[in-house]
Order: sequence, then structure tokens, then C-alpha cells
Amino acid sequence: MTQAPVLDVRDLEMHFAVGGGLLDRLKLDAKGIRLEKPIVHAVNGVSLSIAQGEIMALVGESGCGKSTVAKTIARIYEPTKGKIRIDGKDIANFGFAQMLPVRARMQMIFQDPYASLNPRQRVRDIVAEPLLEQTKIAQERAAVPEKIARLLARVGLNAEHAGRYPHQFSGGQRQRIGIARALSVTPGLIIADEPVSALDVSIQAQILNLMKDLRDEFGLAYLFISHDLSVVHHIADKVGVMYLGFMVENAPRDVLFARPRHPYTRALLSAAPSVKAKRDIEEIVLTGEVPSALDLPSGCCFRTRCPFAWKKCAQERPQLQDVGDGQSVACHLIDAPERDTR
Amino acid sequence: MTTFLNSEFFHNYTRSSSAIIGSTLMALFAFAVIAGPFLVAQNPYDIASLDLMDSYKPPVWLDGGDPRFWLGTDGQGRDVWASILYGARISVFIGLVAMIASCVIGTLLGLIAGFYGGIVDSVIMRIADVQLSFPSILIALFLMSAVGTGVDKVLIALTAVGWVVYARTVRGSTLSEIEKEYVQAARVAGLPNHKIIRKHVLPNVLTPLIVIATIQVGTFVLIEASLSFLGVGVPITQPSLGLLIKNGFDVLFSGLWWTSVFPGVAIMMLVFGINLFGDFLRDELNPRLK
Amino acid sequence: MMKDAANTALLTVRNLRTYFHTFSGTVRAVDGVSFEIGQGEVMGLVGESGGGKSVVGFSILGLIDSPGKIEGGEILLEGRDLVTAGEDHLRHVRGREISMVFQDPMTSLNPLHTVGRQMDEVLRLHSDLRADARHKACVDMLESVGISRAAERLKAYPHQFSGGMRQRVVIAIAMLANPKLIIADEPTTALDVTIQSQILKLMRAQIADKGASMILITHDLAVVSEMADHITVLYCGNVVERGATRDLIETPAHPYTRGLIDSIPDTSERLDRLSQIPGSVPDIRNLPQGCNFRDRCPRAQALCAQKEPPLTPQHNGLMAACHFPLHPGERL
Repeated sequence: MTQAPVLDVRDLEMHFAVGGGLLDRLKLDAKGIRLEKPIVHAVNGVSLSIAQGEIMALVGESGCGKSTVAKTIARIYEPTKGKIRIDGKDIANFGFAQMLPVRARMQMIFQDPYASLNPRQRVRDIVAEPLLEQTKIAQERAAVPEKIARLLARVGLNAEHAGRYPHQFSGGQRQRIGIARALSVTPGLIIADEPVSALDVSIQAQILNLMKDLRDEFGLAYLFISHDLSVVHHIADKVGVMYLGFMVENAPRDVLFARPRHPYTRALLSAAPSVKAKRDIEEIVLTGEVPSALDLPSGCCFRTRCPFAWKKCAQERPQLQDVGDGQSVACHLIDAPERDTR
Repeated sequence: MTTFLNSEFFHNYTRSSSAIIGSTLMALFAFAVIAGPFLVAQNPYDIASLDLMDSYKPPVWLDGGDPRFWLGTDGQGRDVWASILYGARISVFIGLVAMIASCVIGTLLGLIAGFYGGIVDSVIMRIADVQLSFPSILIALFLMSAVGTGVDKVLIALTAVGWVVYARTVRGSTLSEIEKEYVQAARVAGLPNHKIIRKHVLPNVLTPLIVIATIQVGTFVLIEASLSFLGVGVPITQPSLGLLIKNGFDVLFSGLWWTSVFPGVAIMMLVFGINLFGDFLRDELNPRLK
Repeated sequence: MMKDAANTALLTVRNLRTYFHTFSGTVRAVDGVSFEIGQGEVMGLVGESGGGKSVVGFSILGLIDSPGKIEGGEILLEGRDLVTAGEDHLRHVRGREISMVFQDPMTSLNPLHTVGRQMDEVLRLHSDLRADARHKACVDMLESVGISRAAERLKAYPHQFSGGMRQRVVIAIAMLANPKLIIADEPTTALDVTIQSQILKLMRAQIADKGASMILITHDLAVVSEMADHITVLYCGNVVERGATRDLIETPAHPYTRGLIDSIPDTSERLDRLSQIPGSVPDIRNLPQGCNFRDRCPRAQALCAQKEPPLTPQHNGLMAACHFPLHPGERL
């Protein structure tokens, strides 16, 4: 690779302490009174890298830590461990002042078009907010309104919309406002946390098309978080599949959809409903539900629901290993293909 | 203005008799408080305008009533009607100022507790809990006996009692606000904490306070009246409605009822009006009831 | 293609109109909706938000509260009109003949009572079984929705179940009284895709097993296309198209249906751009004259602004409300 990736994340971990106040955490059992400190292991060593103009998607079910990865990279949360390199600089431990120039390189689009816009701000103020933090010189500030007007036009809103409040817009229009806000500082990387999952399908298509056009126009890189495989298939260049805070499979899109290797990826693909007549696809039906991130299973995190799990899966945590074509998989089946009975 | 007249809020207002009665009472008191001194000839605090010959005149519709004093006079020949108008000024002044002070201090502490969490939060909220476990009149009484009497002391006591409810409400709303994506968006935009609080949290936690603040003015008028009645409130030179009741109470059983009953009715109408209107606001502004 | 609905229809909805009279105007949430469901059939009711699909479900159950009101039309359950029926009859119908499954299982579960008690209550109301028979029925039902250690789990409270398990409990409760019709309003929208496929399989099996009918209300065409026998598409409170599932998905006649289907990305083919329906759903408080969809429709002509298109028969037994319907193989 000649060019440093826009985003390069290594072994990112994010743990949250939960359990509220002192009294909630006090536990009495046979060993006497002790103070519990429950930890949610939301992200457990995730690595990924995105080049300029590239779209990487993270997929997984609720609670798999994909949104936490996004928000930790955006430094809404303080990472517990690991490196987050933006243009080669590790920002994982940056303070507030150091982060400010980074914010001009990295912006975010949120899931909920209703909760992501302050109901008491006008559209022009919402969109200008990141830009105004970056421009402290008066002459440059004078140019802000014009830039905002241009941005609004670019995302498909018009000038008269600038003076309105969010509640006067539909979900799709609000998401356009959120996109304009992220674009205001002309970032190189946009982290999109489920940007279309709250939208109706016809509007979803509009927003996906817009995001693709913007990528081509500005050379943006996206980290695209989604639970919807068909959306991911449409937009992503490469895909990481997450389960319980681990990256279980990571591959270029075409490789992943043509040849999914991890049983969880295969189950996800077979479970996704489709309007097309059922393709000839192996069906892996998962039983049970995702274990708690408070108390991770030993060995492979997926073994409790995996139809192929055997002894080794409980003893040893599988590591991501390269299986060629840019695909890497964290599964013991790779070393024991005879157990993959289908 | 026309948008307001066409709003759902105004529409519901015109259909709510309690809201209309409440706001009418409040408007009457507002008028009386502002224009009071111009409505009556006598200034009850100007000794020169008092005449002991006029003492204990009954209301005008009773035998011996004097047309100059339609609600009668007290022992110093003070017009009860004029005393009520002047007393209401003090009562309302105390209620409003203490409410504003409580609101500002409570909101600030609630924002800090909710936004920063941790130790700060624990300290502020435990103080609030302790405070809430005593009746507010008791705390006010205790404080008044510690710091002495006077309008400023009453204000301090009421504020010390009143901030808690704002702090708790604002803390709760703040906790849910800072989880919202627009606050996260502001962080990603690079806004410093104080700007996030000012631009994104504060404007969105204020609505429930309108109801609390309205009702609290009524509560404060009552507490102040109780304090003054117990003799630890405002000084005799600045008699509020509560002190008027106390002054009249001494002679109540001598049949001279008008000196305390009319100020009592005035307090009742004031608080009643505030509460009626506050209830209407609560129904209108509470999104859960909609 | 369609069965002779007049004879076999379990539920017939005719010209249903449900309006909400709000301060800012009358919302015609459902404005002249008609459809039929035969015994053992699954009908998908599809549309985007604001289409009125949930209101149809609530109207059938008689659960429209002020400011909403059923302004007209008929809802015939086995020939008996539910619109004009009294609350007593509706109470009897709800739970026993028609039961419901909502998106959020907690809307139908009481957090204060054990699952067992809530299930038992249904049987006490709608059957004359004795206590031990009721208990056995509850255990069997929980097991049949895939909850292991059922006897033990009956003593658990709703919060002790995960989201997917709760939805199973709701389905178990809905099936308990052997209803003739189940109305499922976005039953899997809040669930993860692997759990969703479990729940959909379960619902399909339960319905086939009991011979019940189902109205599946959802925004997700993919889910409906895998579940339903036929589909009714709503737009702005009107039926724009209905027909047998495969015909409607493969050769829709209405441009809106076509647009919806085309805007779903699919893993089996990769397009550079998705085709999209321009604009957004109009404000149903003041709908345009003529066809509600014409502002977003690439085929709209002058006629569409003047006259509201009626539902008319199209190819393959489809019914569509469009002046210029698509023919098989035609794209937008």
C-alpha cells in the first residue's frame, strides 16, 4: 500500500463499568460481602483499516459492539485499549484540544434522524456547528453561511430550509441534514452509524445513493455500521462481521458474499429475508440467543450458538487468520475442515 | 402573535375553564401588585396618613362601616384593602424572586450533576435527598432562626428549600439528554463541554421547569406566610399577607375578624389561581399525557 | 388465482375509513380500504410509515381511541360486522377469535405478573378448562414455541426473558385460545435477523398447525414475500395494489409497488445505484387531488391530477389503483 490508510484501528478494546452506585454493587454471598464491579466487554480487540475512498462496513446483530466501535473511533467514548490512527496519527489518547483538528478530518452520521438533530436549533445552525468550531477567524466565518447554503443544496435541500427547525422535516430530509453537518468540515472519513436503518425503504435508497455519490465526489472513506446485509452488500467495498465484541470475519465484499467462511456469517446470510425467490443457499439456523457481554463464554464467543462447535471451541479463543483473497476468519473450522459437515 | 392565537396551546387554553380562571386571578394579582399604590388613597406604611380615630372600623356593609375603608381597618386605623394591596406586593415579590433564585441555582446544580456524574453528582444529589427528607417549612424555620428575620433572610431560606426540585428534575432530564445523538454529534463537532451544556442540554431540559416554577411561586407565598405568621418571616415594617393574618389573628376572637380573614382570602385566591394555571400547563406541556 | 373469497372469506374489510380528528386537521389514516382473508391464509399488509397499515389492524380489533374514529365501512368476521358490534362482543372477539402480536412484546405483557399467570388468564377467559388442564396447555404451548424447561419458565417474569424469547411468549399467548385470525403488527422489526428468521418460522408453523389466518403488517417487503400468500400494498391510507405474493413481487402493476421493490438492495445482484422513489410521503392532512402518488410517480400524466384511480383488475389477477399501470416485464 503506497498511501497510509485514512483510518487504521489496531486491537481496539472498549469496556464499560456498569452497576450504578455503591449500594447496587454490594453483593452478599457465601464468601461474605464484596463489592462487585461488573464490566461490559463491548469491544474486544478489533482491528480494521480503511483507505481513502473506501467503504468498510461493520455488520452484526444488536449488542455485537459495532456501534461502540464507531463511537469509540469518533472518540465519543474513551477507548480502553488499542490504537486509532487517523492519517497515521494515533488519536486514542488525544486530549480535547488535540482532537479538534482531527474532528475536521473525521465526522459522523447518526442512526436516529429524530434524536440526532437538536430540536431547538435551526437547520443552518445545526449544519454549521462543526465548521464554526474549526473557523475562529472572523473573515473565514463570514464565508460559512454561503458554504452551508451550498452544502444544503448538495444534499438535496433548498435555501429556504435553512431557517426551519428539524420537526418540520421528514425522516429522510433530516438524515440529509445530518449528512450536510458531517460534510461541513470537508472530512476525509465519515463514520456512519446505521444511517438508513430508521428510514423507509424508498427513502433508504435515496440516502444510500446520496452517500455513494458523495464518496465519489469528495473521495470520502466511510466506516458504515449496519445490521442489514443487503444494504452492506450494496454499499461496501469490504465487510467486517462482528459478534459479541469480536471481529469474526473480515473480507472484501464479493469474497464474503460468495464464500462466507465463518458459521456466523453463513447464518446471517441465510437468515436475511429477500424479495427474490430463495437463492440456492445453505441454511444454517441458529438456536438460542447472544450471550451477555458481562460474562463472555470461554474460548470462541460464538460456540454457544454454533452448530459446528466442538471441544476445542470451548478451550481456545480462535484468532483471525488470513485465508487468502484478503479474507480473514476467526474460527477453528479453518484448521479442521472435516468438521464442516455441509 | 397570530401563530400563537392559532396554536393548539391557545386553543386548549380557551377551552379550559380552570386555565382561564387561574390566569385571570393571576392577572388580577399582577395588576394589583403593579398598580396597587395608585388604587388606594392611603399608604398604610406612612404613619402620617394613619389616624387612630379610624381604628377597627368594620367592613362597609356592616354597622359602623366607613365608606373610605370598604374592607374595614385595623388597630392603627390602617385600611385593610390598602394593606392587602401593599402586602400582596411583598408576598408576590418574595415568591417570584425566591422562585427565580431557586430555579437558577437548582438548574445549574442539576446540569452539573447530570452532565459530569461521579462524585460531584453523588454529593449534590445526597444533599438534595437529605433536604427532601425534612418538611420544607421545618428547614425554613430552622434557617430563619439561625440567620434572623427580614425579607432577604426569607429569600435565602426559601431558595435553600426550593432549589432541590429543580436540581432533581434537571439532573434526570440531563441524563437522558446526554445520551441523545445530537449531544454526541456536538462532541464529534468538537464543542467543549460548556458549549454542549449551554446549546444542547440546557434548552432541552427547561420545559418541565415551567410547570414547577409556576406552582412553586404559590408554594413559596404559602411558606412565607407561614413563616411570617409564626413570627420569623418579614419584619413588621414590611408586612406581607402572612404577617397581616398574624396581626389580625390576635384580635380575631374579639369579633374583629376582617383584619385577618380578608388577607387570608387574598392568599387563597392567589395560590388557587397559580395552581389552577399550573395544572393546565402541566397537562399541556407533559408529552406523556398527550 | 384468488380463491373464491365470497364463500371462504374469514374476514372481509369493506371500504374501511378510520380518521383522526386532530387540532391541525383531520388525518385520513385509513381511507377506503377493502380486502379479504380466507381461512388459513396469510395476508401481508405492506406500506411505508404513514401508510395507515397499523391503523387497519387496530380498527379490526376495535382499538381506535379518541381522537380517532371509524367513520365508515364494514369489518365482517365470518359475516358479523365488528364496526357496529358492541364492546361486549368485541371483548369476546379479541383474544378468542382474533389475537394480536405487536412489535414491542412489552406492550402486550404485564411486567408485574409471571408469564404463567398471564397465559392462564387467557385460558380462564376463553376456555372452560380446569386449573390442571390449563397448566398443561400452557406448558405445551410454551414448548411448542421453542421455549425449553417450559414448566419452570412459566414462573418467570417477562423481564427475565430476552427480546426474542419474549416475542415467543407473546406468540404463545396469542395462539392459546386457538384464534381464527392473528394480527401481527411488525412482529419481528425489533429483532435481530437470526432471531427474526426463527420467529417467522415459528409463526408459519403455528399457523399451519392450527389452520389460523394471519394479517402480517410490516414495512419489510422481504419478510412479507417469504411469509404471505397474498399482499395488500397501502399508500396514504389507500390500497394501491393487491394480489398473490409472487405475482405482485415479480410483476407489480402499480408504479409504487415497483418502486418499493426496486429500492430494496439485494445480495444476489449488485447495482451501482439503487433505483429510488423521489420525494417523500405527502402530508396526509392535505393530500393532493387525484392520485396520492402522482407527485412521486415517473408515469404520472394530466389525468392523474384530476381523477383518483379506482382499484381495477390487472394482469395475473392483480388489482391496482393506477391510470397507467405497468405491464409484466415493464420497468419504471
